[in-house]
Amino acid sequence: MHSLLVTGRFLSRAIWNGIANISATDPSVQRKTDPHLISAVCGFSKERKFQRLIKGQFGDDAWFTAKYKTADVLGVADGVGGWRAYGIDPGEFSLHLMRTCERLVKLGRFTPTDPSELVAKSYYELLHHKKAILGSSTACVVLLNRENNTLYTANIGDSGFMVVRRGKVVRRSEEQQHYFNTPFQLSLPPPGYQQDVLSDRPDAAMTDNFPVEDGDVILVATDGVFDNLPHSVIVDQLIKVQGERCAGRLQMVANTLAWMARNLSFDETFISPFAESAFANGIETIGGKPDDITVILATVAI
Amino acid sequence: MDCEDVEMDKGSKIETLLKMNHVEQFVSKVLDYTSRYNNSNSYYYSPINLVGKYVKYPSYGDCPETYFLVLNTFLSSFKIKGHMVIGGKRAEAYQQNYRPQDSDPLEAEDYITLQFDSAVIPRDALHIRNLQSRCSCTDLGKDIGQDDTPLGTSMGTPPEMCSHESRKFHPQIKEINHLINTIRLEFNQSHLLYHYSLDAVLLAGYQPMSTLQYNMLVSGVVNHMVSVAAKQNDSENVCDTVSDSQDLFDNLPYEVIIHIFQYLDLKSLSQCAQVNKIWNVVSADPILYQNLSLKSYWYLVDCGTLEYFMKKCNTLKKLDLSWCGNDCVSVIEFKRLVADFLRRSCNTLTHLSLGNCKYVDMEIMEELSACKELVDLRLINITSYLLTINNLTKLVSLDLTCHNIMDSVLIRILKLNPNLKHITVDLCENLMALDQVAEVVEKHNKFLTTWSSWKVVTFTSEGIKNFGKCPYLTELDLGWCLMSTDPGDCLEIIADGCRQLKRLILSEWRGLNDHLLMSIIMNCKELTQLDLLGIKNITANLCEKALLMLPKLRLLDISFCESVRQDEVEIWRQQFPHITIQRSCQYLVNDYLN
Repeated sequence: MHSLLVTGRFLSRAIWNGIANISATDPSVQRKTDPHLISAVCGFSKERKFQRLIKGQFGDDAWFTAKYKTADVLGVADGVGGWRAYGIDPGEFSLHLMRTCERLVKLGRFTPTDPSELVAKSYYELLHHKKAILGSSTACVVLLNRENNTLYTANIGDSGFMVVRRGKVVRRSEEQQHYFNTPFQLSLPPPGYQQDVLSDRPDAAMTDNFPVEDGDVILVATDGVFDNLPHSVIVDQLIKVQGERCAGRLQMVANTLAWMARNLSFDETFISPFAESAFANGIETIGGKPDDITVILATVAI
Repeated sequence: MDCEDVEMDKGSKIETLLKMNHVEQFVSKVLDYTSRYNNSNSYYYSPINLVGKYVKYPSYGDCPETYFLVLNTFLSSFKIKGHMVIGGKRAEAYQQNYRPQDSDPLEAEDYITLQFDSAVIPRDALHIRNLQSRCSCTDLGKDIGQDDTPLGTSMGTPPEMCSHESRKFHPQIKEINHLINTIRLEFNQSHLLYHYSLDAVLLAGYQPMSTLQYNMLVSGVVNHMVSVAAKQNDSENVCDTVSDSQDLFDNLPYEVIIHIFQYLDLKSLSQCAQVNKIWNVVSADPILYQNLSLKSYWYLVDCGTLEYFMKKCNTLKKLDLSWCGNDCVSVIEFKRLVADFLRRSCNTLTHLSLGNCKYVDMEIMEELSACKELVDLRLINITSYLLTINNLTKLVSLDLTCHNIMDSVLIRILKLNPNLKHITVDLCENLMALDQVAEVVEKHNKFLTTWSSWKVVTFTSEGIKNFGKCPYLTELDLGWCLMSTDPGDCLEIIADGCRQLKRLILSEWRGLNDHLLMSIIMNCKELTQLDLLGIKNITANLCEKALLMLPKLRLLDISFCESVRQDEVEIWRQQFPHITIQRSCQYLVNDYLN
């Protein structure tokens, strides 16, 4: 009975997010000829107990989608959970980082060829918040430039993106890690902790750009997805929505990916990509990695 | 009966007459503003947030996504609180009106100029705000006719009290029959309990449906049509009130008339000049124009005005041209006249204020630096470099808020002007070595009483220690200066050296804790205001000590101090009713749900 309730809640949450996102990407708003992204979002918090529902947040993960006349932008960030021990809410930093990105895009205060600058601006902006926003976070921002149909990406840490074209992975991000399970991260530590905290400058972001074609599928997700879902499973799902223009069907696949990642993350016998990676680093572990999960799935329409 | 109604409409509402389209629109561009909270490249709390639809309404609170209005933070916040708390006593460095007789009934301290996409005949201007309690606000519509001169049409409302909730604010608008696409909001924050924050501005009005209508409006034909009827009525009512009784006023001695005239504002003086020959001669006496403040008439000032006053001002002492001239038809001409004006009065000028004058350039700066007698110089929101300042040696007050002054120039000014008492360098983003500046201040400016370097982040605790050797220091604003650096023991040294300290602003010194602040509370017994905004580590224990042990404390700002609980604050508010405890409004849950 309990599991039924839990399942029901997660499903309704996924649907709620889907609805929120469909309304945000109403196709009638745009001219059909304009290159743009059609996107769907789904995700789960690691915590099973009831939490406050905040748009743009799944546990410590945060995401945003925003549009401006020159570009469509998607982004995810994963707050570093270690801050909880210091009495700092790890979700706050990532949420504010993404919200600030979103706002900067909506105000047009970004270069449509440089998403790493957008992340940097957003990061430095957080310093000006009257409420001290402390913590650290990984970030991955993907930007479709409408003028030259090119995808520009910036990635700090172990969140990432993947682009699938006609059944093949044409581009995927590389993880940036200091050492195993410790990704590169942007951080604003409390005063006095500067020396003890890993902090990478926003210009450490790995940037990339490549032309996209009509129908390309883009997945932007946090490590909760990449650490739990085997590569082949992800690709199998992405192939299904090749060239998909309907946000509803895109949402269904996004839900599937998030749901599978969630189930596998709590599966104690499954040999997940995380367990394989741990094994390669000399750590014997098995099972999924319970983590917050965020999936943004988008297709390119040109 | 029907016929009469139609007549009424013709007299008052041209939109019904011409069947125009009703349009509602949000701001498309921010053209100009006087106050900002942050550095220019940051969008948090900045005016650019007014562009487009509201984002936070109806949530109430202190949100970075809205325009957060603070005038020259140090002085204004003192002024606000000065009115409310410290019995009308303003900070020493606050700029008094140079011509008190010319005071503006609204006493606007700030403005923001907003542009909308399409020009309309305004019928409603809606302000959506998130935070504030009492404020007055004026809209000044601007014509988009050929000459683009401001109409100076005031659509003002008196200050009013409102509750602690976000709201929409409809100021009453005077009837205007011009097309308008630019409005200016003026703010008077003197009645506020907390700061004012604005989410969006909506301008509603009627838009012409055809080019013909548009041309009619621009050329003023319609306006003429509408006003003819009214004028006819007026002319009948105006009766000849001039009586032939003798004008006893003219029998008074010249000195007495001059004395009486000294109490008149500029408008009345100009009207007096038209009465008769004697009045004309008297009202042109240069003694009446020793102090000139045109700020409250900014919408009327043009080249002609300047020329008019230039003839009369032979011994000009104080000049305030803030806000003037930016909307002038020929800004270059106006700039030339200002330079000319400064050249003529360079031997007598002691006070000069050029706030928000966009046209100020090297030429004006050169004329300015020739004014050897200058005591008080205020260049707020001016971007031109200040280079040739070698002639200025008598300065007492210097206000360079939002100026791009460099360290070397500031240091030279400080060395040349040993009498400097009030220094404001808020938001000066080009100051890279404030530690060195503070060292120079400590050596050369022994009488320093006010220092304000709000949001200049290049200070370290070593530099701040220098203020410990300024014994006359009463007002110290170091808000955001040591945001993430370690404060060390600089507060102990300040507490030891500056016993006279009345106002201390330490906003966002995130490394502070109870222990470091205790020395201030133990030593600075004169403190009336203590600002600890955004310091996470201070506890209720310290706040309670501050409230108990500082006998003159009237204002304690503990906004965003997360270790202090709201219920504790409520208890203090009852225990210490004479002390205002500022506390920001925290976010609401539904805030995140949008």
